[in-house]
Amino acid sequence: MGKKELKVAFLLALRSLQRGSRSSVLLTILIIGMCFTNMIFLPGLFNGIGQSITKQVVDYEIGNVLVSPKTGDQYVSDLSATLDLINGMPGVERATPHFSKGATLKYRQRMLGVTVRAIKPNDEKLVSPLYTKMVAGSYLGEDDTGEVIIGKPVAGDASVREEDEFQSSLGGVRVGDSITIDYGNGYVKDYRVKGIYYTGWSSADSAVYVSYTDMALADPRALDNADYVTVKTRPGYSEKFVKDELIQYGVSQKVQTTADLLAKSMGRALQSFAIINMVSLIVGIIITTVVLFIVITIKTINSRRQIGILKAIGVDQEVIMHSYGFQVIIMAVLGILFGLVLTLLMAAYLAANPIVTPEWSATLYLTPMDLIQNSLILFAASIVAGYVPAYQVSREDIQSAMRA
Amino acid sequence: MIEITDLTKIYRMGDVEVRALDGVTLNIAKGEFLGIMGASGSGKTTLLHMLGLLDIPSSGGIVIDGTDISRLNDYEKSMFRLYKLGYVFQDYALVPDLTVMENVSLTAMLRKDRTERQYHEASIDILKKIGLLDRQDHLPRELSGGQQQRVSIARAMVNKPDILFADEPCANLDSENSRMVLDLFREINEEMKQTIVMVSHEDWHKDYFHRIVRLRDGKVTSDDSKIAASS
Repeated sequence: MGKKELKVAFLLALRSLQRGSRSSVLLTILIIGMCFTNMIFLPGLFNGIGQSITKQVVDYEIGNVLVSPKTGDQYVSDLSATLDLINGMPGVERATPHFSKGATLKYRQRMLGVTVRAIKPNDEKLVSPLYTKMVAGSYLGEDDTGEVIIGKPVAGDASVREEDEFQSSLGGVRVGDSITIDYGNGYVKDYRVKGIYYTGWSSADSAVYVSYTDMALADPRALDNADYVTVKTRPGYSEKFVKDELIQYGVSQKVQTTADLLAKSMGRALQSFAIINMVSLIVGIIITTVVLFIVITIKTINSRRQIGILKAIGVDQEVIMHSYGFQVIIMAVLGILFGLVLTLLMAAYLAANPIVTPEWSATLYLTPMDLIQNSLILFAASIVAGYVPAYQVSREDIQSAMRA
Repeated sequence: MIEITDLTKIYRMGDVEVRALDGVTLNIAKGEFLGIMGASGSGKTTLLHMLGLLDIPSSGGIVIDGTDISRLNDYEKSMFRLYKLGYVFQDYALVPDLTVMENVSLTAMLRKDRTERQYHEASIDILKKIGLLDRQDHLPRELSGGQQQRVSIARAMVNKPDILFADEPCANLDSENSRMVLDLFREINEEMKQTIVMVSHEDWHKDYFHRIVRLRDGKVTSDDSKIAASS
């Protein structure tokens, strides 16, 4: 095929689209666009949920790297030395310890079982965005004692009756109120509520935070121990790199990256997502292929006589075949562009209005590679769907075609 | 120019064998305006299709300008039609989505020996000749039957083919438009020495032909070139 043949094929294709049935062209473009959106939306949403959960877990549970007690140990011991060692490693932004203890909160007539998490507030700030999630009052100070910050669901709403509550609460605690924490070991203390936070991550929102200094009063083991240490990596350093460094430089505890932990806890869910994504992709491709095949088949069957005439006046069958091929290419490109616009509009809408649940808030997570990959797959499917009927009809002998 | 030897075309319809052409032997000289006449079913259109490389004979041979067309493959036949032949159909057969100019220049665009400027000029020249230059941007459906047939002739003539075939070009036209089309053929034949082979069943068309070949049941019943002298 030379340049002139391609030019004629393109002219025939363009004019057929411009001056043929516009409604069928628009409908085909619409269907391709919808198929593109269908192919990318569900996987994007699942990726969004995965990203959301991962971010929440990193932000409020385990950081980028989690240092936990080695098998047989109850705590990460020799905490000060361990923290110094970790904080001195290249690639470590900051390490912060957590010490949790089950307790009962009491406020007026309400009692509520919660986990009290002890943190070092200043270090925690460098690892977790908790301090940015205050909806009332303020964050903990480094050496605060007698002060607590509580999750919004724990504080509750005074206007909702206890029996109507979705989740048990203290029934409307406000900043400045006094609540009692009974640690269950005989240590009971009144705390002033310094702040109320809301992260959207139910595990964090169902807890209360006190300073390490305060926890050491309730449980002296907190003085130099931690349940675990969360580590935030510096930008440009991979979690794997930091994990290897920590092990190499003598952190004798169990060291795991987020990926290690999520693979264990979410492996099956991610596998299910991958299967659904694959099904969605295959269905999208099949729909697009079938639709385009039908559209081009109908077009070619309706144009059999014209195809015969074109061949009779000396237009080679390859030019005719490519003219239908170009029609498919043009419709596929426009359909994919339409699908891209639709997808990006939905992504923008979901970014502004995420799907929120107590565990995660999902947006559409799309990477340029996802968009390119899906575009190419759909484009290739369109070409196959268009060229097959075009090839069949263009090969028909002139007499049969002209008699049609 | 065209040598037809013992040409036969047999169609099979189930167990029935139909001899559409039965041993036709004929020579057509360069510059002739040949009319192939006969009743419906006499084989005239079949003969034209064989000469125009639109169909394959069952037996016999056709040599056009020294080329035995039975030896050509599909691509070579396409190129032969593109470079050597022009074809005018009974129902005009214009591409409905292309303008008059695009229809006329379509085959010229494909020729490797023509630049864009050359085929554009050739298209304009031929449209001027048929008097439809002012309609160059119109679509076929915006033209009358006679105008569409003239565009069809322009399309066939734009490449200055060696032979122009016309398959009952006036069948769908009234007598005034028919006369206009036939006058155009005569003009092309006389001015450009264009070889024209035209199929017709209208008796009054014979006045335009140099030579008339009559067919009946697939056989040549008469080959009369006397009219040429009188016309």
